[in-house]
Amino acid sequence: MPGPLEGIRVADFTWVWAGPSCTLQLAHMGAEVIRMESRRRICVLRMLPPWPGGQPNPNRSGYFNQYNQGKRGITLDISKPEGREIARRIVAISDVAAENFAGGVIDRLGLGYEELRQVKPDLVMISMSGYGQTGPESPYVSYGPAQVPLSGMSQLTGYRGWPPMHVGMSYGDPNAGLHAAFAVLAALYYRQRTGKGQYIDMSQWESTMAVIGDGIMHYTMNGEHPERNGNRVPEMAPHGVFRCAPAATLPGYPEDDRWVSIACGSDAEWRAFCGVMGRAEMADDPRFRTLAGRKTSEDALEEIVAAWTITRDPFEVMELCQAAGVAAFPPQSNRELAEDPHLNARGFFVEKPHADPEVGVRKHAGMPWRMSDTPCEVWRAAPVMGQDNDYVFGELLGMSSQQVAELTERQVIY
Amino acid sequence: MPDRALEGLTVVECGVAGAAAYGAKLMADLGADVIKVEAPGGGDPSRALGPFPGGRPHPEKSGAFLYLNCNKQGVTLDLGRPRAQELLMRLLGRADVLIHDFPPRQAGALGLVYDRIREANPRLVMTSISPFGQDGPHRDFMAYDLTVASAGGWTWINGWPGHPEMPPLKAYGRQTAYQSGVTAAMATMGALFARLRTGRGQHIDVSAQECIASILEMTYTYWPYMETMAVRWGQRPLQPVDFFQCKDGGWVFALCIEEHQWQALVELMETPEWTTWEVAANRFVRASNWDALRPFMEEWVSQWTVDELYRAAQARRIPFAPASTLADLLHSPHLQARGFFVEVAYPQAGTLKQAGAPYKLGGTPWEIRAPAPALGQHSQAVFGGLLGLSAAELAALREEGVV
Repeated sequence: MPGPLEGIRVADFTWVWAGPSCTLQLAHMGAEVIRMESRRRICVLRMLPPWPGGQPNPNRSGYFNQYNQGKRGITLDISKPEGREIARRIVAISDVAAENFAGGVIDRLGLGYEELRQVKPDLVMISMSGYGQTGPESPYVSYGPAQVPLSGMSQLTGYRGWPPMHVGMSYGDPNAGLHAAFAVLAALYYRQRTGKGQYIDMSQWESTMAVIGDGIMHYTMNGEHPERNGNRVPEMAPHGVFRCAPAATLPGYPEDDRWVSIACGSDAEWRAFCGVMGRAEMADDPRFRTLAGRKTSEDALEEIVAAWTITRDPFEVMELCQAAGVAAFPPQSNRELAEDPHLNARGFFVEKPHADPEVGVRKHAGMPWRMSDTPCEVWRAAPVMGQDNDYVFGELLGMSSQQVAELTERQVIY
Repeated sequence: MPDRALEGLTVVECGVAGAAAYGAKLMADLGADVIKVEAPGGGDPSRALGPFPGGRPHPEKSGAFLYLNCNKQGVTLDLGRPRAQELLMRLLGRADVLIHDFPPRQAGALGLVYDRIREANPRLVMTSISPFGQDGPHRDFMAYDLTVASAGGWTWINGWPGHPEMPPLKAYGRQTAYQSGVTAAMATMGALFARLRTGRGQHIDVSAQECIASILEMTYTYWPYMETMAVRWGQRPLQPVDFFQCKDGGWVFALCIEEHQWQALVELMETPEWTTWEVAANRFVRASNWDALRPFMEEWVSQWTVDELYRAAQARRIPFAPASTLADLLHSPHLQARGFFVEVAYPQAGTLKQAGAPYKLGGTPWEIRAPAPALGQHSQAVFGGLLGLSAAELAALREEGVV
């Protein structure tokens, strides 16, 4: 069985991380995604590490190759009128167009929805700029890392008494990409039933606020800003990340940078956890018997837990706790993820040969879902620049090799 | 002709983690009919989460619950009882989608088994969200948001660089639930799209751990590409990507991704001497010398207010951003102009402003049509109206504690 989006083609004008995260989902589901890039302004991700051997090379970036798996790649300079004309021809044979330039940019390029619907009346098009296409700040420039502070998430995340902080990744990007892919699929579903395409104006800022909806409720209900509170949450205790025994088992770790997360969601789990620690009597300690008590005495509680974990290996703590039905897992590093026996048993990772031999076969993260009847799979590694020029310009658009050579000479195909 | 994108779709939602609730919310807001099944008594655990007005817990006033459940109908069923499972199966016989986030073992005990459900309705798309997926050695591990964020590799990269004494940290809120929820909604739409062609439903297995492991920016690939360990705050190969405090006490996020943005920043700084130093020559060099350069930047930023600097930077197309407070968001003229926040009148919690649509679909509206349901509010309408139970049957079921 082919993937669920078999037969759907996507004209992909996106770049950096948010837009490509959206079209990655569509590629995962079997859509033919044609990523349009140009040497005139190479995608930011191609110019960022990691690279094999640490040597910069636009075709070898692990960052790019992770989020562009299964896509076609062509080089086309859409700042030139002829390039734009070719882009319109690609849209004319596509079902979806996606872009994530700053607000208004795609219109100025002559590739806005009003233009593109002329060549493809039932097109589903999504713009996913930082601020959306309307409103006084719509032309502002933004990248995913800035969405974390802009959305309010930075003010909510962090150690108690410390400054607002980041969340470790440019969360605004993949979050926007996933919401965008959902919206595109909803619009495609609607189109399939009605014949009507439409335009989607998506704001990365708004999609980031959508996932702190309860924090916003806190403010509108009480006029208060929730305090940053580390790993603590009101509804559970213990609920934290605790230091474990030093070990030098993995090269590159500071020896004592070993931790385990532990969360008890009920009194019963707390009781079980006391048993795991060999401190069954503590379950009935009046300070800790109820959630309210554990919250009031959380400092003392965490000291007791930390004194227990500090002599143990984090994965040993995980096994002991999980055997008793207590939620525990070490914060996994990127290496531990790649070696995670569970993820490997589930076939999560994707190892496809890349066109550049220096990249070869590397272990990329795959897709986080499985479908029983229309299986999704990555059919090919991310493209090197222009890898599919022959296929798209020749086979799909029917250009002769002479035309392609001429356009390449004039740096339209570039 | 439907004028809502997902009009005519019936979605049954149940679970405990908030993930199914968010996935179903995304579908409800685009027009799907969502029937939310809650346990009698306490209902969805989100009802106990808050935030609450005045900090006083109340099952009909939880901010998390209200935000996640507008536009849905709510029924109660004690799924531990065979009679309730039978009623659920009848409901699923009329539905297009079942989306749930019970962990695998619990789902099995509650009768949420795909092979059985497919017999009742081969067109149904069943989407199961769980912490670790439906198979593999960790399938039945216990997990909350913190557990999944750790197993997925997120907490490892979240913290302050240069502070190894501080623990790996989770991001605010139940982000792993949001991520697995939006992923599940998207995959469900993919399966519904395929159903237009095949006529058949299918089972979707969404792993929350994998949802996180697949969005770790460039940090994950540092291992397969360079055998380099990820660091706290994620890899920051270029600078500036940092927070600075302004003279009004607020925080600004200074960011230059591309070199031309740095050049524009240099102009804005009126070229202080240090910008000509070799240690600041390009974005990678700046990153390796950031500890030395940071104090200069700090001093310069401290002469501005957040808003002045934000506007001045954006006027030169430098992608700075404020670290917005929630009050900043609610008073933002831009968000007001876009109508982002919506007001919803809740019968018990009052009228509240909340986050609205993350996107605007030009041809089919996103809209709040109804506030979140009270516990069991639509049991009568759904079991009586939709399934045709008589008043006497329904009363008996209530008596038994099934509904």
